[in-house]
Amino acid sequence: MYRIVIDGSLCSGFGDCADLAPDVFGLDSHGKALLRVGTSDDERVREAADACPMGAIHVEEVLAA
Amino acid sequence: MTHDPTFWLLARASGLTAYLLLTLSVLAGLVVKSRPFGRALKTAAVTDVHRFFALLGLGMLVLHGVALVLDSTVHMPVAALFVPFLSTYRPTAVAFGVLAAELAALITVSFSLRRWIGGRNWRRLHYATFLVFVMGTVHGLTAGTDSAQPWAFSLYLGAVGAVAFATAWRVLGRPTRTRTTTPTPALERSA
Repeated sequence: MYRIVIDGSLCSGFGDCADLAPDVFGLDSHGKALLRVGTSDDERVREAADACPMGAIHVEEVLAA
Repeated sequence: MTHDPTFWLLARASGLTAYLLLTLSVLAGLVVKSRPFGRALKTAAVTDVHRFFALLGLGMLVLHGVALVLDSTVHMPVAALFVPFLSTYRPTAVAFGVLAAELAALITVSFSLRRWIGGRNWRRLHYATFLVFVMGTVHGLTAGTDSAQPWAFSLYLGAVGAVAFATAWRVLGRPTRTRTTTPTPALERSA
């Protein structure tokens, strides 16, 4: 299980996260990333964090409760 | 004793190469979002290229400075590489290069400091790259001894044209993202 945090200040709206893990990341009306969920089991969140050019996505592995 | 042209050749070649790399870096940076090649190029790959050219360009600037100090065609003390107008050779033309290089280094370093200075300040500082490009162009044209050569002038003309075109494309092109991804109404409200 992954806990996901977006640094809203760093997000520049490249949108790759929303392409890679559309169930987890969406884009607001300004094209900035927003989280659809706080945690996810989807492995693609790691890909999304790696793909972010600004490094604005932090993914932390947590033990499922 | 005959004058050894090695460092003079190196100074000119590294200066022109640094300018070419700066241009390529700016172009790569400009197409990250305007996506002229659609989805064929991944954002992460383009930003990697953008950073790579920027760093290589700074490395080339170091070589440019070292070569100028070691060469005896123009007298260039080390301090003149860092302090504008200290050069006795074309002081104003060299000052443009000094300031452009320092600003370029600052912008490059700012990427690593983006968490401390914040995304907004990082973006604002990044706009100064246009100033770097303009100053670098002025420096190359006025301080460079090859500028009058058709091949060198073509390089500057091509670089300015390409950056102007890519900038216009970036500014005039509508952001593709907001069109391709429709946020759900619930997310719209929370935004």
